Amino acid sequence: MDWTILQQYGPLLLSGFGTTILCWALGTVFSMVLGLLIALLQRYGPRPLGWVIQAYIEIIRGTPFLVQLFVLYYGGPLIGLRLDALPAGLLGLTIYGSPYFAEIFRSAFNAVPLGQIEAARAIGMSELSIIRRILLPLGLVSALPALVNFSIILTKETVILSIITVPELTYQTQRMSTETFRYIEANLALALFFWALVETISRVGRKLEKRVTRHLIERT
Amino acid sequence: MFSVATFLSSFEPLFWAARFTLLISVLGIALGLVIAALVCAAALSRFAPFRWLAALWVSFLRGVPLLVQLLLFYYLLPVIGIDVPALVAAVVTVGICASAYISEIWRGAIMALPTGQVAAATAIGMAPRDIWTRIILPQAFKLSLPALVNELILLVKASSLVSVVGILELTRASQAQAATTFRPLEVYLAAACIYLLINLFLAALGRYLEHRLAV
Amino acid sequence: MPGASSVEIRKVNKHHGQFHALKDVDLDILPGKVTCLIGPSGSGKSTLLRCINFLDEYESGEIRIDGQLIGYQSPGGARMPGRTLREIRRSIGMVFQQFNLWPHMTALGNVTEGLIRVRGLPKTEAERRAREALEKVGLSDKMASHPSRLSGGQQQRVAIARTLAMEPRLMLFDEPTSALDPELVGEVLNVMKTLATEGMTMVVVTHEMGFAAHVADQVAFMEKGELVSVDVPDKILHNPQDSRIKAFLRTYHERNSF
Repeated sequence: MDWTILQQYGPLLLSGFGTTILCWALGTVFSMVLGLLIALLQRYGPRPLGWVIQAYIEIIRGTPFLVQLFVLYYGGPLIGLRLDALPAGLLGLTIYGSPYFAEIFRSAFNAVPLGQIEAARAIGMSELSIIRRILLPLGLVSALPALVNFSIILTKETVILSIITVPELTYQTQRMSTETFRYIEANLALALFFWALVETISRVGRKLEKRVTRHLIERT
Repeated sequence: MFSVATFLSSFEPLFWAARFTLLISVLGIALGLVIAALVCAAALSRFAPFRWLAALWVSFLRGVPLLVQLLLFYYLLPVIGIDVPALVAAVVTVGICASAYISEIWRGAIMALPTGQVAAATAIGMAPRDIWTRIILPQAFKLSLPALVNELILLVKASSLVSVVGILELTRASQAQAATTFRPLEVYLAAACIYLLINLFLAALGRYLEHRLAV
Repeated sequence: MPGASSVEIRKVNKHHGQFHALKDVDLDILPGKVTCLIGPSGSGKSTLLRCINFLDEYESGEIRIDGQLIGYQSPGGARMPGRTLREIRRSIGMVFQQFNLWPHMTALGNVTEGLIRVRGLPKTEAERRAREALEKVGLSDKMASHPSRLSGGQQQRVAIARTLAMEPRLMLFDEPTSALDPELVGEVLNVMKTLATEGMTMVVVTHEMGFAAHVADQVAFMEKGELVSVDVPDKILHNPQDSRIKAFLRTYHERNSF
């Protein structure tokens, strides 16, 4: 490894790393919130809205993220939606992730035993209180492994943003490698970086999972 | 403005390219199945170093984004003296990546079988080899079929990334067409529709298999 | 007990799809008395109980609590607004077979939840009352425990305390001891006996014939969605006239003799 190259491109890679983390964090939060909203609307909203939501879920899950980004970033301006690469990328990630999160929340809500909701109804709790105090806390805990798992998948999807020129780590690495002709070293380093990142998040996720489920594990 | 005519006329040339999307996905999963059988056997082996190797293989391939794997292989292969057509390199990369996910699907299916069955087979004196081929593997494979169809759907979508290393599949073809017609919205939406059609068909196949297995 | 409720059930019908779960059921539940519902499984006892607080919706007939119709604005009329339904449910306690404690809250939290969210009590007052209720069921030392740390009997007693704290005028028990190990049944039945002597109106779906014989004021026998007979325990359990009751009790005794 030629250290002067690293010195020269250090700031560039660092800013790319920052953008990757930013895209991942915001993309995860936004799509998780949208997914939660979708799951709640599906559970409590009117039937026709449920069909519309189901169609949205099928369409987004049935098409590649890259093609969705192309529609948004290159096709958007034709209908007046003009976005810079980074906002387009974030919007794309949010749309792409939301149906997966919605499905995670939906099945987590379905897994909350009906009896625990009936017990709340029987003492006269309002549906809103039931959502806030029973459904959400229990649903979120049982959804946690799947939420962590999909957040990890999203870290890997952020690299696709480089194709629509979002200046994240993959984009900056390709720029460096074409300028220095160090294709293999650069991409190998990139691979190792993601490997470490994904392993770290998985470990943290498993710890977190143990912590929040500690009350829910039956004594044996 | 959105032009319906342009949208509709985009389909024909894209259908042609979609054949390569299917080709890459199907060959990719076929290769993935073969490698996954070896990886899964290693993961369940009694010999610890085999298990470590399998764990390393799975962890690396699932930790590194497919796009980065594609770029890495694309630049690495010529340097280590492997000179193959880009399409072959792409299929191999996709297949290797899929093998990590498939071996985990199989490992999960095998672990999900009730341990009592093996105990019962052992109790009537079946040899370990027969227990595997007669009891464990047939059931685990059946159990894993819906998940394998799902993996194929993921590959159809993931194959859009091989456009980056210059393979003329559905996504690359739509890029080319968008560039010549200056109508990216219509062209990319048409491409999205084709992906959706393929995947809805595969999803229906998956549900059919699941239904058949449940009976 | 002041303000114990009465329930009138008149010509109540309910279907689960094709299955006719309740057929023209009539029953009077008197204030301050204990009514036990017995019968084979699938006979409609639990469904009838769940119709009383409208967790299960009946289709025709009337169920009145202290004269007030539940579930509908008028007989055969439009559904009652959710707010009114919740209002009525506040004075009806329900205890479930599977306890249905909220696993993410402590024993104390399970009891205070309704007091704070439904009754709108301040936290300190809610905790004071919750402590009282938990003491009453003999669990003053388990207040800070989560349900996963409690035995089945203890969980069911927390569930009873959760209902008691809301100061109900009517309590519904849906097979409260059926999910318990035999040695834990007694502690739950003892709490229920205390409530009965204090004059709580109670409706109990149960397979504990001993409890029905000694504590109930009246026993109702159901089969195939019909209320076959209702009378004092002695008449139903020791001198049954109806052949269906005789057959049921014969199986019961065979299963429980050794």
